[in-house]
Amino acid sequence: MTDVLELPSTRHEAWRWADTGGIAAAAALAPVAPAKADFLDLPGARLLFVDGVLDDAASDLHRVRIGDLTPGDHPLGRRATHGWSLHLDAGAVADPVQVVHVATGGENHLAAQIVLAADTSAQLVETFVGAGWSNRQTRIRLGHAARLMRAVRMTQDAGFVSLRDDAELGEGASYVATVLGAGDQGARVDAAITLAGAGGYAEFGGALLTRDATKQECAVRVRHAAPNGQSHQLWRAVAADTSQASLAAAVEVARHAQKTDGEQSLRGLLLQRTATVNLKPELEIFADDVKCAHGATVGELDARALFYMASRGIPAPRAKALLTRAFVADALDRIADDTVRDAFAADADAWLERAL
Amino acid sequence: MLKIENLHAEIDGKEILKGLSLEVNAGEIHAIMGPNGAGKSTLGYVLGGRPGYEVTAGSITFNGEDLLDKEPHERAAAGVFLGFQYPVEIPGVSNVQFLRESLNAQRAQRDEKPLSGAEFLKLARAQADALGLQQDMLKRPVNVGFSGGEKKRNEMVQMGIIDPAFAILDETDSGLDIDALRIVGDGINRIMRRPDKAVLLITHYQRLLDYVKPDRVHVLADGRITRSGGPELALQLEREGYAEVAA
Repeated sequence: MTDVLELPSTRHEAWRWADTGGIAAAAALAPVAPAKADFLDLPGARLLFVDGVLDDAASDLHRVRIGDLTPGDHPLGRRATHGWSLHLDAGAVADPVQVVHVATGGENHLAAQIVLAADTSAQLVETFVGAGWSNRQTRIRLGHAARLMRAVRMTQDAGFVSLRDDAELGEGASYVATVLGAGDQGARVDAAITLAGAGGYAEFGGALLTRDATKQECAVRVRHAAPNGQSHQLWRAVAADTSQASLAAAVEVARHAQKTDGEQSLRGLLLQRTATVNLKPELEIFADDVKCAHGATVGELDARALFYMASRGIPAPRAKALLTRAFVADALDRIADDTVRDAFAADADAWLERAL
Repeated sequence: MLKIENLHAEIDGKEILKGLSLEVNAGEIHAIMGPNGAGKSTLGYVLGGRPGYEVTAGSITFNGEDLLDKEPHERAAAGVFLGFQYPVEIPGVSNVQFLRESLNAQRAQRDEKPLSGAEFLKLARAQADALGLQQDMLKRPVNVGFSGGEKKRNEMVQMGIIDPAFAILDETDSGLDIDALRIVGDGINRIMRRPDKAVLLITHYQRLLDYVKPDRVHVLADGRITRSGGPELALQLEREGYAEVAA
């Protein structure tokens, strides 16, 4: 199956925990009725893609354009040749862009391009629902002091979501992205973020919640190519049943990227001992005046805390939900917008209800 | 109210309680005293239903019902409160959220309506004030960064909010300075000294008993009650030591 999809094998280090079999199975899923498109109560553009095709009647494009985009050479990303783009000229402030991706079985591919000129700011919220293989390539270019806030939630009932992001930040630009995997699909979050200008700021993190036999992973690489950059990769993985959640986060600091401040915090929580969490923090530092903090831990829910809560009257499933939610809260609290953060927290809660 | 008969309990196959019997009636405060390792905390955990504490023989009834048959959260809803010697820190869960969840979970099990956020906050603030716990500590994660004394006060705030019929207080006096001891003692009297309530005070020292006068004092040694008496027994223990009195 993997050969048919022409994806790298898991012998390739960057694809070590990739569920290529899960992608193939998702691509072969039989058609299902379209799931309801769930837009949040935010102003701005609303894009509804059903199997990667824009639903004109249900969409409101604002500044967004639809058209062909240059595919990259990434094994996942190169499949997406058509999609949406947002270009902001210097000084412009755009309303939020919401994208809902509905999959109805089979495979679908869609590209996106976000180009923000100097001193612009944009907010992007993406939601994945339905079943099938949804494959996305997102290209991000941030100019001087441009700011992009992005939140992605993967809440499909089945199948697979693969994200390939390629972001380049100019001087003083800021990119804050939070990804939540709270559905019953597999996932690969594959990202390359380059701080090309001095003083760039990147946050790329989130929470992967897996149950049954699903596999989700992030494979993120942040490259500090200029001095005074700051990056934070804060990921939480929660795995139940026989599922597998994997976090591979790399920081690369180039020789001249002095005064880099990089942080990686990877933490895993096993809800059952039959589940698997893989963590791989990776540092490649060629500069000599940098600060790179990294932590990686895997554990179980604190039995003492569970008994303490029970002794106050809280039933075990609820106590587990509260502790698990507290565990992922760090990651989701990075979302600045209240409406978006509440919606993501509710998705995490709904997942916990099902998993516990 | 609480009746323990011939209780045997073990942890990891090691027997800690070896035939303990005790009866506490409504309106009474009992103190359990004893040397380290006698099984005082084990008694508290067995009453609370902590996993790993296995009852191998005997019975515990609470208001006529088999307590051992209930899950820990059901015991709480039935009116049993366990004050911890080492209150647990819960990062990421605020005190307010924890307490509101606790109270409303108990109310739900008793088919009572949940308290609204406003009703709950009013109650929580009143209890925090009464125990000298700063209001901002209600918003902080449960017991995280609290001093030993603050944790114990927080236990009492929880007890005040939950308003249980029966409280087992395990070494509630440890880690308290004299002022805090008085505040906590006053709290126990205010919340629990009622004709329809009862308390089991587990303590190593007699000093808390200066503030909370027990009706009965028991000596727990090597897994059983070896002596029982009135408040004067506590003073005798303090004077003569456990080795003399408990033997």
